[in-house]
Amino acid sequence: MSDNKNTGFRSLLHRSLRELGSRRMYLWAMILVPLGVAFFFLSLMHEGLPERVPTAVVDMDHTSLSTKVTRSLSSQQYVDITQVLADYHEAMDKVQRGEIFGFFYIPRDFERDALGETGATITYYTNLTYFVPGSLAYKAFKTMAVTSSGAIVQSELTGMGLTPSAAGTLLQPIVIDTHSIGNPWLNYNIYLSNSFLPCLLELMIFLVTAWSICHEIKTGESVEWLRAADGSMLKALAGKLLPQTVIFTIVGLAIQALCFRYNHFPMNGSWGALTLATILLVLASQSFGVIVSSAMPNLRLALSLCSLTGILAFSVAGFSYPVEDMYGAIGIFSYILPIRYYFLIYIDQALNGVPVYYSRLYFVGLLCFPIVAALLSRNLRRFCLRPTYVP
Amino acid sequence: MNNPITRWFKETARVWSRELRLIFSDAGMLLFFFALPLVYPLVYTLIYNPEVVTDIPVTVVDNSRTSASRELTRSIDATSAIKIVGYATSLSEARRWQAEKRCYGILVIPEDYARDIGRSEQTHVDFYSDMSLLLRFRTFLSALTDVQLATGAKIRAQKMEAAGLPASEAPISSEAFFLGDAEQGFASFIIPGIVVLIIQQSMILGIAMLIGTSRERRRRNGGIDPMAIQASPSATMAGKLLAYMVPYLPMSVYALHYVPLMFSLPHSGSMTQYLPFFLPMLIASAGFGLVISEIFVKEREMSLMVVVFTSVGFLFLSGLTWPRYAMHPVWQWIGNCIPAVWGVEGFIRINSNSATLAQNSHPYLMLWLLSAIYWTIYWMMLRHHRAKKLF
Repeated sequence: MSDNKNTGFRSLLHRSLRELGSRRMYLWAMILVPLGVAFFFLSLMHEGLPERVPTAVVDMDHTSLSTKVTRSLSSQQYVDITQVLADYHEAMDKVQRGEIFGFFYIPRDFERDALGETGATITYYTNLTYFVPGSLAYKAFKTMAVTSSGAIVQSELTGMGLTPSAAGTLLQPIVIDTHSIGNPWLNYNIYLSNSFLPCLLELMIFLVTAWSICHEIKTGESVEWLRAADGSMLKALAGKLLPQTVIFTIVGLAIQALCFRYNHFPMNGSWGALTLATILLVLASQSFGVIVSSAMPNLRLALSLCSLTGILAFSVAGFSYPVEDMYGAIGIFSYILPIRYYFLIYIDQALNGVPVYYSRLYFVGLLCFPIVAALLSRNLRRFCLRPTYVP
Repeated sequence: MNNPITRWFKETARVWSRELRLIFSDAGMLLFFFALPLVYPLVYTLIYNPEVVTDIPVTVVDNSRTSASRELTRSIDATSAIKIVGYATSLSEARRWQAEKRCYGILVIPEDYARDIGRSEQTHVDFYSDMSLLLRFRTFLSALTDVQLATGAKIRAQKMEAAGLPASEAPISSEAFFLGDAEQGFASFIIPGIVVLIIQQSMILGIAMLIGTSRERRRRNGGIDPMAIQASPSATMAGKLLAYMVPYLPMSVYALHYVPLMFSLPHSGSMTQYLPFFLPMLIASAGFGLVISEIFVKEREMSLMVVVFTSVGFLFLSGLTWPRYAMHPVWQWIGNCIPAVWGVEGFIRINSNSATLAQNSHPYLMLWLLSAIYWTIYWMMLRHHRAKKLF
């Protein structure tokens, strides 16, 4: 009897493999798109930080002090003073044309006022419509404003008779050293690729799972599919999805290898835990596809709902903006997405390297998806037996 | 009917009304052309609408236990960015709290903190930041820099008074201005770009579904689409384009004008500048959608499989997260071919930086160029189909 069951499952597997081979779309959606986008991300941001932000200086003073400030601004790591402009209006025009992301404004009589009684005011403008270059320019400008002010105070203090080192301490009596744990280079590639690439994999798994199930119903072949599985919905699903699980897992682990092995992203914790998380992400995402297909066994609606959740996942899973700071009614949706749990495991394991114990609940979260899917698949069986296609 | 010009207009009108009928009689099309551009901008804005990150939990390890160290802690707690959630007795205890996600930063005040200040030696305080989200790190960094400067100035004033030196005001004060996103909010930064992407992507999704559905009809009817109108390629093109404008002209006004208005996002551009700018963006997107659908979409629901994941790629190509000037030329060139890349660039500058259309002549002309290219390709495709008697 077990022999008979075996051949049944084998023919089911054979059926799914034939299906995967019959459409070029599967090759695209399962392998080429996830790996292609991985290549795109890793190549796009391989420098880690977009250095040399194009910026400008408006020097209304033209004295030795203002020239000194301009020169030391040019030596800052993150900015590139591409132009020295005549006035504020010209600089603003360049910002509006997108040629520069900010400018540093040295007013008229800057040297006289700075060294005299009145004091001078430097202003700097950064364009935050592009967040990364804008904030890098801001950082460089602020550092410059503080250090040029400091240099003058220091020379004043030594003029009062203090030693240069005492003046230096007095200038900056307290230093807060900020240590960025796990990503000391503030590398954008590490930060974005590790979250966006698994999220894209999740999206493609959602779509392929929903497609391969609901397409059976669209063409009316679901009856034959169920018969090949001896009428068991779970067996039919297993036979259809297992080959996809294998392919997606290989693709997921390949992306993981690209990130951590080839690009040497920080990996401070357990390799085993992260590998397990990738496998569970694949299973949970497939289960999500099954859940959606069971709730809405219509190809177009299932794919629409999978797209909606899969695309919103990039925002609502909290890769860039923390879930804790979203409105509660919105943030809660992040926990219906497998990627949220994977992301939290990745942070614990790869970035922070904390004991696996602290990630235990996230693994449980991922395991909930297959259970819910198995429970809901009874609904799917009904529709597979009486397939109706609604465009 | 003999006059070719009258005939052309009549054909165009027939294609236009047939296309509108196909759009308005199809629930899937209504979802893509109306529901999606109406609802998505709202959902995205709601996700990011809290704008800034506040009260991030931080643990303090105070090894100094002096009034000076308590004052430092108090002034850090007083920032809007940071909230002190507890005192740990050791760094390892604080690390454990961080592993449990009870805090995202640890402040360690050294034992000799107060003594160093008393002896006029520079004192170093350590701050360990979780790096899972760069936004949190950046918020920490800017708050801590402000505290460091303010505390330093206070200590300096006390010391100088004690030493009988004349109080020295900072000779150079500085003032920072943020352009385009004065509140430094996350929604204000990302939404103006996202709405442009939503317009393009929803339009492509809809067009892909129209083409996929027409191909299914053709397959069912022996190579003839019974719903297709016999018309010259140019009349077909004009009729389709005008049909897509019926939903997308009002949708553009809604997404570009009313969405920023509703959520008080940056919206300083003039409608007379960005609406004309957006016209070639719509025309180019429609052409782009027709061309890629003709190549890739064989079936109605395949539109979702083909189009959805590209949103992630287009978002990055647009330079919203990783600036375009820092991209490899290959990625810049691929980005140059995507209408929304220019659309995002120009609209953000007009909308957030109050630029004029004239200042954005480059993206504007690029959009017309893309319109010409994609519609020419589509024209050749139509001629090719005709030659093969596919219509």
